[in-house]
Amino acid sequence: MNYNWNWRIFFDASPEGNGTYLDMLLSGLMWTIATALCSWIIAFFLGSLIGVLRTLPSKPANAIGTAYVELFRNVPLLVQMFLWYFVLPEVVPTRLGDAIKQLPDAPFYTAVVCLGFFTASRVAEQVRAGIQSLPRGQRMAGTAMGFTTYQTYRYVLLPNAYRIILPPMTSEFLNNLKNTSVALTIGLLELTARARSMQEFSFQVFEAFTAATILYVIINLVVVTAATFLEKAVAIPGQR
Amino acid sequence: MLSNFDFSVIVSSLPYLFGQGMVFTVTLTAMAALGGVIIGTLLAMARLSGVPGLTQVAKGYVELCRSLPLVLVIFWFYFLVPYIGAYVTGSSTPIQVGAFPSALITFMAFEAAYFSEIMRAGIQSIPKGQTAAAQALGMNYWQTMGNVVLPQAFRNMLPLLLTQTIVLFQDTSLVYVLSLTDFMGAASKVAQRDGRLVEMYIFAAVVYFVICFSASFLVRRLQRRVAIIR
Amino acid sequence: MTSSPMPAPHATEPAAEAAYAPADAGLQPGHLVSGAPVAAPGETMIAIDNISKWYGDFQVLTNCTTKVAKGEVVVVCGPSGSGKSTLIKCVNALEPFQKGQITVAGTKVADKGTNLPKLRSRVGMVFQHFELFPHLSITDNLTIAQRKVLGRGAEDAKKRGLDLLARVGLGAHATKFPGQLSGGQQQRVAIARALAMNPVVMLFDEPTSALDPEMVGEVLDVMVELAKEGMTMMVVTHEMGFARKVADRVIFMDRGEIVEDAKKEEFFGSPRSERAQTFLSKILQH
Repeated sequence: MNYNWNWRIFFDASPEGNGTYLDMLLSGLMWTIATALCSWIIAFFLGSLIGVLRTLPSKPANAIGTAYVELFRNVPLLVQMFLWYFVLPEVVPTRLGDAIKQLPDAPFYTAVVCLGFFTASRVAEQVRAGIQSLPRGQRMAGTAMGFTTYQTYRYVLLPNAYRIILPPMTSEFLNNLKNTSVALTIGLLELTARARSMQEFSFQVFEAFTAATILYVIINLVVVTAATFLEKAVAIPGQR
Repeated sequence: MLSNFDFSVIVSSLPYLFGQGMVFTVTLTAMAALGGVIIGTLLAMARLSGVPGLTQVAKGYVELCRSLPLVLVIFWFYFLVPYIGAYVTGSSTPIQVGAFPSALITFMAFEAAYFSEIMRAGIQSIPKGQTAAAQALGMNYWQTMGNVVLPQAFRNMLPLLLTQTIVLFQDTSLVYVLSLTDFMGAASKVAQRDGRLVEMYIFAAVVYFVICFSASFLVRRLQRRVAIIR
Repeated sequence: MTSSPMPAPHATEPAAEAAYAPADAGLQPGHLVSGAPVAAPGETMIAIDNISKWYGDFQVLTNCTTKVAKGEVVVVCGPSGSGKSTLIKCVNALEPFQKGQITVAGTKVADKGTNLPKLRSRVGMVFQHFELFPHLSITDNLTIAQRKVLGRGAEDAKKRGLDLLARVGLGAHATKFPGQLSGGQQQRVAIARALAMNPVVMLFDEPTSALDPEMVGEVLDVMVELAKEGMTMMVVTHEMGFARKVADRVIFMDRGEIVEDAKKEEFFGSPRSERAQTFLSKILQH
């Protein structure tokens, strides 16, 4: 095999003229992290709401929650990305559509919203499973003490459910982070996109992808470590 | 606006969308799922084998795949496979590999990591007594696995394996980044050619939804039946 | 915590009289119901009027009618599946019912206009599996509903909560979490939690049946104390020793019906129905 390794390539100036290839990859990393965090905020709150809807003693609420989850889970993320980016501006009133198209950093905002709504369906499933795994008596005890439904969720069910689902929620957070790379299809210059452009400019395929791989692995390790600390911090004395 | 939604562009491209695109998608999904389950099962067995080295290698591979975005892995294999081919055949230059085999290898290797986690849980769900009983009857490791443990593990995990296959079916749309003509690729090519993005992407979404929703509905029914029998 | 002077007789259910050894729970002096309205015997506190309930086609309660007067202690017993737990959960509308009416302290439970959270805040309930909130400390378990439902200040709520905790003999455990206490201790906390709301009536849904036999006594002691102080109580239990000691009336249920509703002496002396006789002979022969 005759592949010419050149690990010094990272310190060469990139043809974009504002820094080295390493700077290029790190700027991609920043976009990846920013997109992941912003979309997670949407996913967490919207997903919790949808998950709660599916556990309420109300048929219409259950139906809305189920419809949401089924809709966002059964369409590929790439297709959803295109719907938000290419289709949405065309089907809303023309002036609004034009305003969306002229947004600076439109790929970023689109990716945040798209991933937020997509991941919300997964968060919803975790929240629902967490609430349903609690003993039935907990809801009854809250109700029996005079808590309203809102109070029962706020003070009894959710604090327990979130603790139980912390490990799967960590996975969903990481999935969401990895899914940011799908946004390269709508032009977001995140880490994978930057590795790809570095490969196109420099022809050093494997150095570029190795660097991206290492960066992804590091983020994963950081998140998993942080989650372990979080789990310890919120652990309840006397349980498990 | 939706008032000038043009159905004719969808109708006229149906043979292309399904005849080429969907056939590619379904073939890729089926073969990748089959290969992924086989490799995944071997990975799970390696990880549970307790053999020093083997366990760690299997674990490392699975963890690595699970921490990388599929898009990056697709790029990795797209450039790596020609070199692997050259290494295997002893050629001095990278070998040209067709788009389909390249995509197939990618998805088999990547999804194997996810299938292996399911199979690991499946194998671990079989009571230790089953292995003991098989060994007491004089079976060796492969006989025990093949005749006793794996058949039960597959059976218990079938709903999860199928659900993961539905995810795989959706994931194959990402071969778009290699400009391959899967269902989404075909829809996208028509969309660009005719300037009909709204129609084609909405249609693609509807098709994916109908297929995945029906499939997951069937999986849920299967799950209930499996749950009753167990 | 509980060193019963008598050896726990056996581990079979239901624990019979012998398992109930008084005065081993370290009850502190003082009244458990301080602050509760003074009982004026005779006034109706709970009126259950011709209740029927179905799960789909299956009828779980059939025309149940009874009353609990202020200050009265009523024990509800019967074989499992007889509907006794369902009946007691209808009293504070944890279970809906399709026919009839229940009136608690003058408020109709099944009326559309009834403010159920408000009604429930005045009805204390103790569950079979304690249902303390596992993520909250004992103090927070005792105070959260006082603060969030009754709107009491944090200091007042804490004072009342710790006061009651001391009276069920667990003053030293205020900062612990439910998972760090034994079953018997958790159930005593659960009773204190219900009392902290100044309930006008207390409902007990098999409060000792999830406990190890050696812990039954400490919980029953608290309940006896409560009964003696004049609390209105409706208690679903198999503990016939408890019934003998403090009950005013015993209700026997079978297959969703109230088969017998009699003064304690009559019930234990000469149950009229054959079903009650069979039940009693089974439960007392241990």
